[in-house]
Amino acid sequence: MADFLRQNAGRFFANNKKGENAELLADLNSEYRDRRKDAVKRVIANMTVGKDVSSLFPQVVKNMQTEDLEMKKLVYLYLMNYAKSNPDLVILAVNTFVKDTDHVNPLIRALAIRTMGCIRVDKILDHICEPLRKCLQDDNPYVRKTAAIGVAKLWDLDQERALENGFVTVLQDLVSDSNPMVVANAVTALAEMQESSVSKDVFVVNVAIMNKMLAALNECTEWGQIAILTSLADYRPLDSKEAENVCERVIPRLQHANGSVVLSAIRVLMIFMRYIKSEDFIKGMIKKMSPPLVSLLASAPEVQYVSLRNINLILQKRPDILQNDVRVFFCKYNDPPYVKREKLEIIIKLCNDKNIEQILSELKEYASEVDVEFVRKAVRAIGRCAIMIDEASERCVNVLLDLINTKVNYVVQEAIIVIKDIFRKYPKRYEAIIPTLCQNLDSLDEPEAKGSLIWIIGEYAERIENADELIENFLETFLEENSQVQLQLLTATVKLFLKKPAQSQEIVHRVLQTATNEIDNPDTRDRAYVYWRLLSTDPQAAKAVVLSDKPPISVETRTISPALMDELINNISTLASVYHKPPKAFMGNRAFSADAVKTAAAADARDEEQIIGDAVLDASGAPAPKNVMTDLLDLDFGSSEPAYTSPPVSSSKPASNNGPNYSADLFDMSSDMSGSSSSVFGGMGGMGGMGGMQQQQTQHQQQAPPPARNDPFGDLGGLGGFGQPPQQQQQQPTKPTQSSAENDLLGLF
Amino acid sequence: MIESLFVLSPTGKVIIEKHWHELIPRRVVDYFNEQVSKAMTEGEDVTREDVLPIIASPKYQLINVYRDGLTYLSPVTKEVDPMMVFEFLHRIPDILQEYFGQVSETVIKENFVTVYQLLEEMMDDGFPLTTEPNSLKEIVPAPNILNKVVTTLGATTSVSTRKMPHGMSNLPWRKAGVKYNSNEIFFDIVEEIDAIVDSTGKAVSCEAHGTIQTNSRLSGMPDLTLSFVNPRLVDDCSFHQSVRFNKWESDKVLSFVPPDGHFRLMSYRVNLPSQQNLPIQVKPSINIGANGAKFDITVSLRSTDGKPVENIVLTLPLHKSTTTLTAQCNVGQYMFDPVGKVLRWDVGKIVPRERAPVISGSFGFGSASDAAANAGYNIGVEFLINSHSLSGLKVDVLKLFNESYKPYKGVRTMTKAGRYQVRA
Repeated sequence: MADFLRQNAGRFFANNKKGENAELLADLNSEYRDRRKDAVKRVIANMTVGKDVSSLFPQVVKNMQTEDLEMKKLVYLYLMNYAKSNPDLVILAVNTFVKDTDHVNPLIRALAIRTMGCIRVDKILDHICEPLRKCLQDDNPYVRKTAAIGVAKLWDLDQERALENGFVTVLQDLVSDSNPMVVANAVTALAEMQESSVSKDVFVVNVAIMNKMLAALNECTEWGQIAILTSLADYRPLDSKEAENVCERVIPRLQHANGSVVLSAIRVLMIFMRYIKSEDFIKGMIKKMSPPLVSLLASAPEVQYVSLRNINLILQKRPDILQNDVRVFFCKYNDPPYVKREKLEIIIKLCNDKNIEQILSELKEYASEVDVEFVRKAVRAIGRCAIMIDEASERCVNVLLDLINTKVNYVVQEAIIVIKDIFRKYPKRYEAIIPTLCQNLDSLDEPEAKGSLIWIIGEYAERIENADELIENFLETFLEENSQVQLQLLTATVKLFLKKPAQSQEIVHRVLQTATNEIDNPDTRDRAYVYWRLLSTDPQAAKAVVLSDKPPISVETRTISPALMDELINNISTLASVYHKPPKAFMGNRAFSADAVKTAAAADARDEEQIIGDAVLDASGAPAPKNVMTDLLDLDFGSSEPAYTSPPVSSSKPASNNGPNYSADLFDMSSDMSGSSSSVFGGMGGMGGMGGMQQQQTQHQQQAPPPARNDPFGDLGGLGGFGQPPQQQQQQPTKPTQSSAENDLLGLF
Repeated sequence: MIESLFVLSPTGKVIIEKHWHELIPRRVVDYFNEQVSKAMTEGEDVTREDVLPIIASPKYQLINVYRDGLTYLSPVTKEVDPMMVFEFLHRIPDILQEYFGQVSETVIKENFVTVYQLLEEMMDDGFPLTTEPNSLKEIVPAPNILNKVVTTLGATTSVSTRKMPHGMSNLPWRKAGVKYNSNEIFFDIVEEIDAIVDSTGKAVSCEAHGTIQTNSRLSGMPDLTLSFVNPRLVDDCSFHQSVRFNKWESDKVLSFVPPDGHFRLMSYRVNLPSQQNLPIQVKPSINIGANGAKFDITVSLRSTDGKPVENIVLTLPLHKSTTTLTAQCNVGQYMFDPVGKVLRWDVGKIVPRERAPVISGSFGFGSASDAAANAGYNIGVEFLINSHSLSGLKVDVLKLFNESYKPYKGVRTMTKAGRYQVRA
């Protein structure tokens, strides 16, 4: 050792900062204790700013042999820091550590065992086992609880060694310790070890362990309570009675100032609730859960954020919670944007016919905020309210009209998009406002808003006197438009023609001509072909197809599938509950638990996609990647607002299908084929196959797509997916009443 | 598990780092700084406060808290309870505040050794350990003038070195053998009002968040019972660890053996009805055109039981395009910050039946815009009322058991504005 020290010192002096370190060296060797102590402090200070003080190591360690507690602690502090970066150096002091685990002062014993655990090299294993065993049985609870964590540290280095030495058993015994703090630390250590253990039998919560944990719950520190509650959540009660008993013991924890204790308690309650049969008891629990959740909203914004994400989950599971508390979710102007957006989500979830008035005036207030993204969300929220609550729709429309009158560009555009949905939900109810909308025609520059207004014009062409002029107006820039707008224009023009053939024969002809000859985008071109042939073959059929009733839309405030929901409830107050994703989905390579992986795989792909979309939006403020397919087939709008869904959807589409390029390719292929066969339904068949989303389906036009799954893009996929040979498909449009589903879908064109 | 902590200066430099489990390389801080500056360039008025508190990186989840210019960053590699991380990260500046009176880059640098010792005591292997300031102060002595003098003179400082750590007595929050010549206990009931008030003066949402800060200087093991005149007012509450929860559930009294010194006995929340009489009324009127606006704001007292309202400050954030402002006020003084675009009016104190303070004036936008003309305005309000509790919660009596002395008891109440804003 002496050699090593000399070498080390030599290297140092050859290098740099001679002055300061030389001075420190002198002071560390001083005969005055306080000068030495002061020197150690300066060494630590230098160390924290990243200066290399490792050369002083032997002199510092020499000062460890002292009865001065403060000095000893300082040296330990120095060693603790070096334990991470230079474990080989620190292990030189191991004999002093071992000696100190016999010190009369329990603080020193604990400090020694704690520091030894922090030295993460294998060599320490030979030295630590005996002292650790001693400390686990120490008379002093402070030492025992420190040693409990020490076992977890040893486990992390060498699981075999920990098992061989019986430390796991000792730790399991500590769960019955008389001191609640020791119990809490034993639980903490065991839970951590369980997670990384291969056999998963280190810590299995049974009735006996649960009772011991419950007994310690009230007495230990807040952090101990979190550990105990987290472990309790893994226990599955045998019957309703037992579940009720546990809940009764846990409910007082809701009254804790630490938000993590509150949420951990709520997790236990939400999980155990599944086992409780008594409705009254559940009602009582729900009632007690609301006030603490509300109180969390008075905390720091970060705590609010996690709370809001969790409240969002809990509300989807138990819509009866927080029913009378919508006011507390109203946004303060200086809330951070991430808090505001979460609050808005919850306001919508709590919206009902009693509080709608209050919520509407609140949303209107938000529409005048500075944060554009938030304003858009608020406007969309008004639309969601209108669609959710029939009786309130008129008031919502009035608010939207007020907003349109502000002439603030992005507000107007967002409002028009929202009104389009209201028109879909309540056809023919609000025609009177169409002129007001049309006044804003020139200010629209976003494709979605433009498309929405065009859709409205096409849909109500017979009621709008100058519909042809309006369409004409848009057509001036037809070729420059984004494909979404082009598609809407095509459809709207055809609608106009079917409703007012006299005025618009020329227009429709021109549009179809342009679209088929001058537009390269296969989506637009193909649709134009379909219309053209439909119109030239059988205008009656075209009418039945294009002007048929649309499938109703509804607002889905519960965006998570039941399977994923249950898993997320199991994970309340974790990162999974913040992301609304199973832990596996974002914690990289690390499998969280076998259960999680299974449920994650089973989780509804569609749900995941929606949530992921949301998360992307939240995280980056950028719009979520759009599913082009959905755009094409579901009214060209659906996907950007996942809350709107066309009815029954259940899907298990392949993950690759949301790549826009992929679908574009498909279209390319099908359009080429339809061109060559020059058959209307060649194109249709191609599209159907594309809706079914399997590339090979489109490989050959004559090949009927295999029976396809139900597909969220709606019914067009269904058309391709019925497994009918193309010949049969050709006959369908002439018998438009054959299948209402097909009509619905065709009506979208 | 909270593996590591980095405390970053306002410029993103590492002031202090601490690794409780494995070493996490400093590179992660660079990645974090990049993400923060990226987020802040996304919008023109995105501030540091607006950056998400959980940022995903390829390898870590970067959980961070921003407080008083400093960032407390904890990168985690495993699933974790983020609420626990936030609670813990907030506890660090809380405790530094308790120790040093203020928290800043300089303060941390001047007290490196103490800060390190604290971080060491607060956490072991990624699991929070001791965060109760009372307990910490026994393990890590707070720097005081005596300490400093002693250190500089080079005399011995073994004053607090022989004490036993916590976890020894049956009551972890109270040490044994406390002795005072005069026994006294003080309760400070402070209520903060969080409210959103609309332009007609009606409260859109309104709640009082109260805390009972206690300073106990009592000998021995006193067992106290504090009761209220009207405890049913409270909608939600949380207590110090010492309070016996069952007693509160059954009798609505606080029964506890207090820690020694300062601690927070109870926090509570009272929902105030929307027809609640608020202590002051702020009447704004802002007439906006395309180029600017005329405004006047009147402040008047409403119901304060005849008590004066002090330290009234109104802040009116203006639209970003605002360039000029002129105003006059009959009371106090105003200031326009042309960079932050905020009008701040220090009203001072209003005594009942005095004339109402008014500020009026106009501001102009640099260029005409619909967005500026339609923007909503909110006024932040601060005030303070001594000896007043808006919720009406009142202490009835404090009884002492288990000790024979008669302590001196003091109760003070105060109401102040929390997040209190008026929509114009």
